[in-house]
Amino acid sequence: MKYYRHVYRQLVGDAGHLGGVPLWLAFRCLPSLLLGALFLLMVLSTAPAQAMPERGSGEPDINGVESGQLLLLDQAGDTVTPALMNTSKVHFDISGMIATVSVEQSFRNDSDRWLEGVYAFPLPDNAAVRYLEMVIGERRIVGKVREKAVAKKIYQAAKKAGKKASLVEQQRPNLFTNRIANIGPGEEITVRMEYVQEVSFSANTFSLRFPMTITPRYMPGAPVSRPSDQEDAQALAINPYLGWAVPTDRVPDADAISPLLNPSPGSEHSPLNPIEITAQLDMGMPLANVESPYHDIALARRAGIYAIRLVSGVSEMDRDFVLNWRPVTGATPAAALFTQEVDGEHFGLLMVVPPAADRAAPAIPRELIFVVDTSGSMGGVAIEQARASVSRALQQLRPVDYFNIIEFNSMHRSLYRQPMPATRHHVQRALEFVRKLDASGGTEMLPALQAALVRPRRAADEFRERALLRQVIFITDGAVGNEVALFEEISSRLGSGRLFTVGIGSAPNSWFMRKAAQAGRGTHTHVGDLDEVGQKMADLFDQLAHPAAVDLTIDWPAPVEAWPQRLPDLYLGQPLLVAVNFGTTPPQGEVMIGGEINARAWTVRLQLGSGAGSATATGHKGVASLWARHKIAGLLDEKLAGRDEDAVRADVLPVALRHQLLSPYTSFVAVEEVISRPQGEGLDSKPVPNTRPHGQSPQGYAYPRTATTGPAKVWFGGLLLFLGIMLHVLRRGEVDHVPAVQS
Amino acid sequence: MSRLSSLKNWRNTLTLCLLLAGSHQMAGAGVIKAKAWLAPLLIDGAWHKTLLSDGAAVKPWPWADTWPVARLRAPAHDVDLLVLAGDSGNALAFGPGHTRASAQLGSNGLAVIGGHRDTHFAFLQQLQTGDVLQLQLPSGELRQYRVQGARVVNVDREPLLATGDHEQLLLVTCYPFDALRAGGPLRYTVSAVPQPLIYAL
Repeated sequence: MKYYRHVYRQLVGDAGHLGGVPLWLAFRCLPSLLLGALFLLMVLSTAPAQAMPERGSGEPDINGVESGQLLLLDQAGDTVTPALMNTSKVHFDISGMIATVSVEQSFRNDSDRWLEGVYAFPLPDNAAVRYLEMVIGERRIVGKVREKAVAKKIYQAAKKAGKKASLVEQQRPNLFTNRIANIGPGEEITVRMEYVQEVSFSANTFSLRFPMTITPRYMPGAPVSRPSDQEDAQALAINPYLGWAVPTDRVPDADAISPLLNPSPGSEHSPLNPIEITAQLDMGMPLANVESPYHDIALARRAGIYAIRLVSGVSEMDRDFVLNWRPVTGATPAAALFTQEVDGEHFGLLMVVPPAADRAAPAIPRELIFVVDTSGSMGGVAIEQARASVSRALQQLRPVDYFNIIEFNSMHRSLYRQPMPATRHHVQRALEFVRKLDASGGTEMLPALQAALVRPRRAADEFRERALLRQVIFITDGAVGNEVALFEEISSRLGSGRLFTVGIGSAPNSWFMRKAAQAGRGTHTHVGDLDEVGQKMADLFDQLAHPAAVDLTIDWPAPVEAWPQRLPDLYLGQPLLVAVNFGTTPPQGEVMIGGEINARAWTVRLQLGSGAGSATATGHKGVASLWARHKIAGLLDEKLAGRDEDAVRADVLPVALRHQLLSPYTSFVAVEEVISRPQGEGLDSKPVPNTRPHGQSPQGYAYPRTATTGPAKVWFGGLLLFLGIMLHVLRRGEVDHVPAVQS
Repeated sequence: MSRLSSLKNWRNTLTLCLLLAGSHQMAGAGVIKAKAWLAPLLIDGAWHKTLLSDGAAVKPWPWADTWPVARLRAPAHDVDLLVLAGDSGNALAFGPGHTRASAQLGSNGLAVIGGHRDTHFAFLQQLQTGDVLQLQLPSGELRQYRVQGARVVNVDREPLLATGDHEQLLLVTCYPFDALRAGGPLRYTVSAVPQPLIYAL
């Protein structure tokens, strides 16, 4: 109270000191008011920063943009956090060469609206997806495989009617989309899928790879504008895939294979897309070790069966999960047959390991062409792995070898005009070249592949009695949308050369790796970590240096339908895998597998059927599904080779429908009969984002940050100075006044 | 009385602090502007060396982590800038930067150049459809582009796409131009397509 009286007295004194109230107002109040007004003006001038976004449509003309007006093509008011949360669970049941895998995806709607979720997710490229069920609380609805268009219609009708439904479609052999309609506010729907796949076996190591996220893919070609006035437009509007890419003339389904990524990178502690991984491993033989290179796993063993789980319980879905296990030396049989009887039909999966070639093979002079992907998607750890891989490979070259390096992104450029001998000088220059490789730009693979596969005519060839063996080593993450065109290019231009793929990064496109290597009649390798580079490249060079097993034949005791129909060449440590349908008679007799390694013939005999000396494991789950999957893959390969699409489709459909498998022409659909969404309520479609691949640098798909703190500094500095001056002005008044009180 | 004098001391200190802090902020803003204004003088030499040495990357000062990769001119707006390699904050302080993940400047594909909205790229708001942009590449080649349009995008909703084989230039800056807050999600993008070079008489 005393203080206020003091201030009042001070003010009155101050006014008197200046000679009256009007003068006091003019000299004391006016400056303060002016400063205040100035301050207000400053605040107002920066107000557009908080202005409400205005919705615009189409591509606005630049002349129409006025300052302070916001034109957004998207619906305004969307938050960054996704409305739909996704958690997953996967369980591997591995028995012998076959893994039965159950994948659970749960979608929780945290918003207060009815939602349709659209989730694009990867699965192993050789997965035979054969079961789908939708779990809503206590209710389970089993899905059915239908022709793709029919499934779509069923789903659409259910979605419109307000019924809960799930539609799983295959976009690529390793890329699927799951749509879940009518998830109510606060509800959770779980979709459980089951697939069978064969375990891969190479160099005495079994392994299983489970992809969890999708590296953003480059979509070559010119964007195709969406039809605006046809019924096509309606079809698009009903079922948009909500991807970030626009369909192009070379990738017409670009929007379906380009799921949005979470803007922030994933973390192990609070995963954006958490997944729980468990596995049961029953090999029926003693194992030397079980390991997972990219995850920490806990192992428990009981009666020869291993139970595996993640140490941390859940993990972020930002990299592939890989499980490797090795039998103790000598425990793997050279040949085995797994069989299953379904509805009176007998199916089998045959595995044969060709005998190891003697190391004394003469060193064939060869020509190694390294093709390195330096596109934007390789940014971060991937380009480091690629650099390390090439450097490692360069050090393994012998002086008799010829080599060259081609790097590509939007354009390609090669180190030398033509392959050069691997002298120390040339290798040194190449190492320098590799060290400077940087990831940026697009992924125009086609011209780079052409450059690598087409052999330039050289004067030197005429003096050599035997042409060099051309081996192309293709190092990439396979993040492209036009895979099929590339496979066609490889098989048509291969000639006598061979192509080997090295998959790089946390989430490579494994289908591309395997298929490109198949088209190039070579092998594929994955490098997911810098520490692996040495071992993987050494293994690859072992394969390159050893002669392959060629001209394989299988003599069955009775006519059977076996897939693949054209047997591949086998490199060191690779087994032959054939899926076979024996028909209604159980397998009997002896099968003979033969081939040639280094111009020397070899044969393996295998006793079929039950009885002494037979290597047949009967009653094996999943063999029939695998046979169907092999048959579908074989039929689709015929399409690659130029067979008419309709004919292929007509052959694939009955197999897929009978064995209830997903394929390019069939989809899984599950519909609940109860109507859950009230008619009055609307339905929003929301994408469920994936997590960015581990270690990938975000620059590839991020805008630069283009604001300085300058304006904020000016504003804040101005405010502080203003306050300081105000304080000073008031203080001066006090100093002037105090002596007056004393006198 | 002692209470009054302590109040006075306190006020003195506060005034001094406010004035100092205010000046510090102002000086910070000044440094940003000064860097932007001074940089061309420093980088110009490096660019000339680049042109003379047939496109080699020349760092403007030994510890620099960027170097000029092109010269961007907007004749109608009297703008003449050197584009730096990379769009990190370090580079953008000195000039507009070419996003390394995008296509090479002057090649097929979408090449992205980012710049600060309050310094180098403040002129983007004055660009009109049909305006001419000129780009000189390290090889000395001169290329001309025509402004095709501008859009405001939300980076959280619409990622930068590296699609298309056609040569295109995308100039990116933050939006709104007079906003205070740095690091917002909106960007103002101006796209330009190549057009045949016409020498003005």
